[in-house]
Amino acid sequence: MIQKKVCLLGTSGVGKTSLVARFVHSAFSDKYLTTVGVKIDKKLVPLDDTNVTLVIWDLAGDDDFQRLQTSYLRGTSGYLLVADGTRRITLDQALDLQSRVVEVLGNVPFILALNKADLTEQWEIDEARIQSLVAENFSIIKTSAKEGAGVEEAFAQLARRTMQPA
Amino acid sequence: MPDDVSPAQAVLEALGFALFVRDETGELQLLGEAPAWLVQLWPKLKENRTLPVAEASPFLENFLIDAEETWKKGGNERAESGPWIEEGENGEAVELQAAALTAGGRSVLLLERLGESFAAKKAVLQRARETVIAHQRLNSEIQKKEILLHCVADEMSAALANVITSLRLIELEENGERTRRLLGLASRATEEQKSLIHRILDVFEDELRGVFGTASTDGVANWEATFRHALEASAPLFEEKRMRLETSDAMATNALLSLDPLHLERIIGNLLQNALERGAPGSSVVVRAKDEAEALFISFDDQGPTLSAESCEDLFACFTPAILSAPASALRLHFCRIVVENSGGEIGCQPVPQGGNRFWIRLTKSSSPA
Repeated sequence: MIQKKVCLLGTSGVGKTSLVARFVHSAFSDKYLTTVGVKIDKKLVPLDDTNVTLVIWDLAGDDDFQRLQTSYLRGTSGYLLVADGTRRITLDQALDLQSRVVEVLGNVPFILALNKADLTEQWEIDEARIQSLVAENFSIIKTSAKEGAGVEEAFAQLARRTMQPA
Repeated sequence: MPDDVSPAQAVLEALGFALFVRDETGELQLLGEAPAWLVQLWPKLKENRTLPVAEASPFLENFLIDAEETWKKGGNERAESGPWIEEGENGEAVELQAAALTAGGRSVLLLERLGESFAAKKAVLQRARETVIAHQRLNSEIQKKEILLHCVADEMSAALANVITSLRLIELEENGERTRRLLGLASRATEEQKSLIHRILDVFEDELRGVFGTASTDGVANWEATFRHALEASAPLFEEKRMRLETSDAMATNALLSLDPLHLERIIGNLLQNALERGAPGSSVVVRAKDEAEALFISFDDQGPTLSAESCEDLFACFTPAILSAPASALRLHFCRIVVENSGGEIGCQPVPQGGNRFWIRLTKSSSPA
């Protein structure tokens, strides 16, 4: 059985835990509950000709109160970098975090998830910014943990990319 | 205490610790009996006191790499895992922390079930992060409003400058009585426009100072005390307009709310002012507060002209058509919305079937003491 460790990374309040809850348990809660430490879940993801068990490490948000403990990244095959589309600053923080992660993991596959896509009226990240990141070879998926949009796709794409040779 | 349990082990167990020692084969052996919380996570520990690391916990498996480093160094070195959450077979989450150290020449793994101190730390982090997010949202709202405000003010100023220049040019010509009268009307209209711009800017500045300048973004407000305070400031205005203000139903609760008292006072003041402006002399405004499980629902019923459901939806947005007829009132409601929503609450308005309107807010109750 193939197992791949993937991490959810991003600053606090962007919806990392909600994305895992949607993907693994098909559940969502509007209430923001901060994650302290690490919570690990597993889910089998069927790919074209094989099944992969994703071991999903939901890490506490990286912020001034808690810095990412890089030892948690050991053995990571890929990660979902999460930003909150309704708070532009979280994208800057995600990109900053990503450059720190590259120093530890090297060029491991990742997907940038712009979460809270259901809150279109409050959306703060414009298309031009997204396109400039796409031009830098970022794989970007708009997700909504609340409605489920893009969530399966993000994890499936990440799983697929972890299976590709480096 | 059973005979085979040492006092030290009993103390460790009482404190929520489980102690493992690494044997010569590299396995981690539990000292003493397996506490219930550990068995709940890894039932095999009851029969076999060896910690099944690889199958039991990917987190521990990862941490043991750091632990090995520590044990190799020996001495006073200590590695700590940081907190993590494991789920037992019954689905119950258990918060844990591990430490690796060397004691008496033996490699020791200390597993701790985190208790109240962790819950307290989590509560502080929750609050701190909520505050940061609220602060970011407020900053973002302020920036958007500032841009919008200046765009609107610029548009109006440019148009006004054109009108004023045109009027002055016309005034230089020889005009008949009728033209002079029309010019007078046009001049007054331009003065009103100028005054409108100033009023918008003044209200904007007042609200910024009132809402963001003096209050902190966190805090707990006692509803009754804050409401009384806001009432003292508004009551004379109601008397002046000969309007009745019924508040007895609003005083029936002294709920604590997750909102800075100054913010709450501002919201109440704005909603009372809104009701005052809508109501005709002699009419009534009724304020009610209703306790809900996790929130307080507060309504302000006026007897002013009934709004359509569509206008109710637009009323709390900035720079809607409402701003042209009543700029100060529209901005006040808009600021109420920003503050209420940033505190996790809700705000709305609906027409009352018997006539008039109900403006309402639902504010989250606080679990912290005031």
